[in-house]
Amino acid sequence: MTYAQDPPQAGRVLDARLHLLDRQLLDVDDVPITTIDDLEVLGTDGDPDPSGGHAVLTSLLTGPVLGTRLFGGRPPSSRLERIRWSHVADVGTAVRLGIHGEELDATWVERWVRDHIIGRIPGGRHDPE
Amino acid sequence: MKRLLGVALGVLTAIGGFLDIGDLVTNAVVGSRFGLSLAWVVVVGVVGICLFAQMSGRVAAVSGRATFEIIRERLGPRAAGANLAASFLINVLTLTAEVGGIALALQLASSVEPRLWVPVAALAVWFVLWRVKFSIMENVTGLVGLTLVVFAVALFKLGPDWGDLAQQAMTLAPTSTETWPTYWYYAIALFGAAMTPYEVFFFSSGAVEEKWTAKDVGQSRLNVLIGFPFGGVLSIAIAACAAVVFLPQAIEVDSLSQIVLPVALAGGKLALAVVIVGIVAATFGAALETSLSSGYTLAQFLGWSWGKFRRPTQAARFHLTMIVALLIGVAILMTSVDPVKVTEFSVVFSAIALPLTYLPILVVANDPEYMGKHVNGRATNALAMVYLVIILVASLAAIPLMIATGAGS
Amino acid sequence: MILSDLLDTPVTDADGTRVGYVIDVRFVLDGPPDGLLAAPRLHGLLVSPRTGTSFLGYERSGVRSPAFLARWFAWRHRGTFLVHWTDVASVADGRVDLAADHRRWSPTLTGSTTER
Repeated sequence: MTYAQDPPQAGRVLDARLHLLDRQLLDVDDVPITTIDDLEVLGTDGDPDPSGGHAVLTSLLTGPVLGTRLFGGRPPSSRLERIRWSHVADVGTAVRLGIHGEELDATWVERWVRDHIIGRIPGGRHDPE
Repeated sequence: MKRLLGVALGVLTAIGGFLDIGDLVTNAVVGSRFGLSLAWVVVVGVVGICLFAQMSGRVAAVSGRATFEIIRERLGPRAAGANLAASFLINVLTLTAEVGGIALALQLASSVEPRLWVPVAALAVWFVLWRVKFSIMENVTGLVGLTLVVFAVALFKLGPDWGDLAQQAMTLAPTSTETWPTYWYYAIALFGAAMTPYEVFFFSSGAVEEKWTAKDVGQSRLNVLIGFPFGGVLSIAIAACAAVVFLPQAIEVDSLSQIVLPVALAGGKLALAVVIVGIVAATFGAALETSLSSGYTLAQFLGWSWGKFRRPTQAARFHLTMIVALLIGVAILMTSVDPVKVTEFSVVFSAIALPLTYLPILVVANDPEYMGKHVNGRATNALAMVYLVIILVASLAAIPLMIATGAGS
Repeated sequence: MILSDLLDTPVTDADGTRVGYVIDVRFVLDGPPDGLLAAPRLHGLLVSPRTGTSFLGYERSGVRSPAFLARWFAWRHRGTFLVHWTDVASVADGRVDLAADHRRWSPTLTGSTTER
C-alpha cells in the first residue's frame, strides 16, 4: 500500500523521536546540559485540541520526566523542568542552545554537586596536568 | 616516537580489553586446559573488535558524538537503560577486579598483604583520574604496558615444540579431559573478553577527549589496527606459555603467581620483575579504562558534562560517578572476595550489553546525517552483518552455557 | 501535554477500529518566530500498524544500508502512514481518534530534514 507524498512544507520538518528526543543538548560553548527527555506541546490555551488546530512545541523537558518514559506515570506540570524552545539555536546530531547552561534552572543539580562536593576537593578547580 | 604515542589510545584500550586481570587469568586457564585449541576465537575476537571500535571511533571523530549518546538516541531510554545497567555493572565489577589485581601484583613484588594495597591502589587510580591529563595517562600506561611483550619473549625462550603448538591451534576441539560445553563456554568467554563494550565506550570517548575530527579517521584506524592485534597476540602468547608449562603436567592455573611462572622459568628474576611491572601497568590501565567508562556511560546516557579535558568542577557529576564507582570497588574488595572471581559474572552482563551497543553503532555508522561521506562501505557492512550474527548467537548461548558448565568449572 | 502522552498510544478510526499506534510526532518549523528559530508547529502523527516503537528510524530516514537491516525495519513498519493533526478528532484517555474523513500520507521524510 503506498500513500501520496505529503505536500512540501514551508519550514524544516522534524520528527520528534527521530530528531529531538534523547539527543544531547549543548549550550552555546558546546558544554553538555542534558539529554532531551521529553517535549512539551501546547495549544493556544493549554493542552492542544485538534479541533482548535494550532499547537506548537514550547519547551524541551528534562529531570524527573525521564522516569515517566522509563516506568510510565506522569509528573505534575509544576514539576517539569523546562528549557524553552526560544533558547534553541540549532538542531543537528546534537541540539544547540544560544545561551550559557549556567543561566538555566535545569542545571541546578550539576551546580549543586560542583559547589558542595567536587569544588571542595583540592585540585578540583584546576586543569589536569 | 610521535607515531608510537599516536596509537597509545588503541594500545591502552586493547590492554584493558585483552590483558586486564580477569583476562590474564582466563588466558592462562584456557592455555593450561585447552592448549591452543581456542586460539582461533581470539583471532575472531580481534577482527570483531577492530571492526566495532573503528566504527565507533569513526562516528565519534566525524560527528563528535560518543557511543553512549548514540545508544540513547537510537534505542530510547528503556533499551538504552537496560544496556546502561548491564554496562555499568560490568564496569564496576571489572574495576573492582583491577584494583584487586593491582594489589595482587604488588603483593607478588612486596609480600605485603593485598588488602593493605587496595586503598593505596584505589587512591592512585583516583589521583590519575582527578589530576592527570588524558594524553599523559594513555601514553604512560600504554608504554609501560608494552612490557607484557615479555610473555611472547618467554614463549620463545621456553623453546616449545612449535609443530605441537601449531597442531593444537589447528585442532578445533577440546582436549580429551574436557567436554564440548566447557569448550564453548570458554570460547564465548574469550570472544566476550575481546569484544567488551567498555573498550568501545572508552575508545570513542577517548576520541572525543583527544578532539579527533573527520581528518583523524586514519589515525583512528591506525590505533585500532595496531592496538587490538597487539592485545590479541599477547593473549595467545599467555595461553601458549601456560600450554607449554602446565598442559603436559595437567596442572590447572588458578592464581596470578602461576601465570607468571612460565616467564620466571624462561627468563629468571629479571623477566619476573619485568612481567610484574607489566601486570601492574596493565591492571592499572584497565582500572582507569573501566572507571572512566563508568563515568562516560552514565554521563552520556543522561547528557551530563563529561571528560578529562575539562576541569573536575566543569564535569562535576562525571567525577562524582567515578569516585562512587571506586568506593564501591574498594568496599567489595574489603570483604576479601577473590577479585578474579568477580569478573566471571561479567560474561552474563556482556551478553545483554554487547548487542545493544553494537546495533546502534552499526546503524549510525551508515547514517549520512551523522557521517556525511564517511558512512560504512559495502565491505565493512558485509563483515559487520556477519559479526552481528556471531554476536547474537554468542549472547543467546552465553547464559545457558554458563549455567550448564557451572561457569566453566 | 507532553510528548509521552502521545507516543505509543493506540490510534482508532471513526468506526472505533484500531488502525495502529503513534510511533512518532512530526513538527514543521513554520510556526511564529520563537527566539532564534521558528516555533515547531505540530504537523501530524506517524501511525504504524505494527508495533508501539519506532525502531531506529530506518523506515523514514532514507538510509538504505546495511541492506538487510534496512529491509527488515522497512518490512516491520510497512503500512506506516502520516496523518495531519487537523485530521485528528480527539486525544483523550491514552487513545487517539481519527476524523471520519482523515487522509493518510506517506511517512517518508522529504529533503528539507537533512539541512544542517
